[in-house]
Amino acid sequence: MKSVFKKALALFCAVCLILTFAACGGKGDKTGAKNDGYTANNTTFKIGVSGPLTGGAAVYGVAVKNSAQMAIDEINAAGGLDGVKFELLAYDDVHDTTKVEANYAAMYEAGMQLSLGCVTSNPCLEFSAFAADDNVFFLTPSASNDDVPAEDNAYQMCFADGNQGKVAADFVNGLGLDKIGIFYKSDDSYSKGIYDQFKANINKGIETVEASFTDANATDFTQQISTLKGCSFIFMPIYYDPAALFMMQAKDDVAANATYYGCDGFDGIESAKGFDINSIPQEVTMLSHFNSKATDGAAADFVKKYTEKFGKETLNQFGASAYDCVYALFNAMKAAKDAGEEIDVTISASDLCEILKDQFQGGFSYSGVTGTNITWDETGYVSKEAVKYVIKAANAADEK
Amino acid sequence: MEQIITTLINGLSAGGTYAMIALGYTMVYGIAKMLNFAHGDVIMVGAYTIFIFFTMLGNPLIGLLIAVVLCMLLGITIERLAYRPLRGASPLAVLITAIGVSYLLQALAQIVFGADIKRPVFFDFGKISVFGLSIAVSTLITLIASAIIMVVLSLFVKYTRTGRAMIAVSEDRGAAELMGISVNKIIVITFAIGSALAAVAGFFMIWKAPSVSPTLGALPGIKAFAAAVIGGIGSLPGAMLGGILMGIVEAFSNSFEFTAPYTDAIVFAVLILILLVRPSGLLGKKRREKV
Repeated sequence: MKSVFKKALALFCAVCLILTFAACGGKGDKTGAKNDGYTANNTTFKIGVSGPLTGGAAVYGVAVKNSAQMAIDEINAAGGLDGVKFELLAYDDVHDTTKVEANYAAMYEAGMQLSLGCVTSNPCLEFSAFAADDNVFFLTPSASNDDVPAEDNAYQMCFADGNQGKVAADFVNGLGLDKIGIFYKSDDSYSKGIYDQFKANINKGIETVEASFTDANATDFTQQISTLKGCSFIFMPIYYDPAALFMMQAKDDVAANATYYGCDGFDGIESAKGFDINSIPQEVTMLSHFNSKATDGAAADFVKKYTEKFGKETLNQFGASAYDCVYALFNAMKAAKDAGEEIDVTISASDLCEILKDQFQGGFSYSGVTGTNITWDETGYVSKEAVKYVIKAANAADEK
Repeated sequence: MEQIITTLINGLSAGGTYAMIALGYTMVYGIAKMLNFAHGDVIMVGAYTIFIFFTMLGNPLIGLLIAVVLCMLLGITIERLAYRPLRGASPLAVLITAIGVSYLLQALAQIVFGADIKRPVFFDFGKISVFGLSIAVSTLITLIASAIIMVVLSLFVKYTRTGRAMIAVSEDRGAAELMGISVNKIIVITFAIGSALAAVAGFFMIWKAPSVSPTLGALPGIKAFAAAVIGGIGSLPGAMLGGILMGIVEAFSNSFEFTAPYTDAIVFAVLILILLVRPSGLLGKKRREKV
């Protein structure tokens, strides 16, 4: 009896062992070709994007999601890519870097083939590490950190921070001022990136008065305002939430005819919750690649379509840029297909990435809402012209 | 010179707010012998309460009164539900519970109010000119109000029965109990006073900077805790001194271009320096260990 039991046990063990090997073999076959598993059942081309759909920076993420969806709907209505439609996978990261890994995995496993990366800079740096590992092509509408396009699968539609700093410095140099104020966030890669480039390119003859803050929850700017109140031109390369707070606290200290000059982080400031921009006497301007008050051309068309669909509240350059990203990706895929590349709906992200890389490095250019004849250099930085945009003019005395 | 005085006043005003929060930490530590890390989030609850009643009634002062009462109740509830069952447990268990309560309050606020920042704008008294300096009235009021609160609190502790009972409990809990003092009652009162001060601090914070969010109390809470440690945790005058010192260091650091990016680092470097020289804080009691 005992030996029968022993034999049964031995048999059982042997079967287990065989099954284990069989399982290994099966798994090995599946992972042999990179990432085939996830896109094999796709019936649409899937574009992934992670951005803040809730929280303090939600106005950016929502704009990107709406606009990308709008572009995809238009492309699909026109028949997609030779009959194959596109689909957007949008995930919420609340502008929190720690949420990116889970979002990326979810999108990748849902069959993402190409991507818009992340909406904001710090999460996008995280995103680009994962995308580089899997060789997923991404064109971010708005993550402007200089290091975002470091890998060869990563491209930007917005100006990189360093470029924004240079463009802003060129603009300020042309104003003929002898003293300007700078207010920046010294522990934020977006703000510090622009600040460094700005300082490097500003004329040495211009006196700069600087004030900064560090923590994301910093709310009391009394001291910074004391430092800057004598300046009639204040450059603020920061996001609009702290900027709005600064302006609310400074409205009686800074001269009423002064100018606040921000970069793309100012976009959407006029619709920031609880902030009445008209209560600020000073002029608020920003550097941009999109003018939401445009009256003609592609920008005006986009504004009209967007506001009809989603209203004015989330209309900003992040959305315009995302709209362009989707069309640029679509045009590049179409151009590749016309040139004889095989792009099937179940193509793996990595294969599609190689095709798109060849396109973006091979003289591909795009004209849309945020510029004409847009091209990309070998790093992935965008090349196009900037426009200056007055969000709110100074309150003139005769207006009242 | 003008710049220095302006900076000093800004620092005193910010320091007054820190001191008010630090008092909450130091009182609870002195009497219940625990670090109440949820204290910063009581400020946040107070700030939201003020915001709600300000939007409803248009008067932040009524909101402040309600917030004071509500925060006292909140402090008592936290003590009753989370800390009292752990009295006698290891200090680590109590510490972790306090951190848990802190995150619970933040998460609840985010569920109830959402993550976006609310911006209540209270009355604006503008500026007045003192000795040729133009100073915001809100800054001056913060300064004066925190001074008054500190004096009243010191008198309360020194000259009332309850206040002296508090000192007794903090000196020797066992002996105080033997003398007929209800330790539980004293601890409840301590939490109530600390939480009321937190509500007042919340009021001054959002008056100066209209920004209410679920994490509003986190950083000021930590800074005020550091202030309480600088002053010598457990000591009331120490918390006031530490808070004001912290506000002044912060203001001066922010006023120079080359130190401004490192303000938080400088503030905490001061903490380390002071603790190196005086391990029990500026006004802390020296304890002699008997071997």
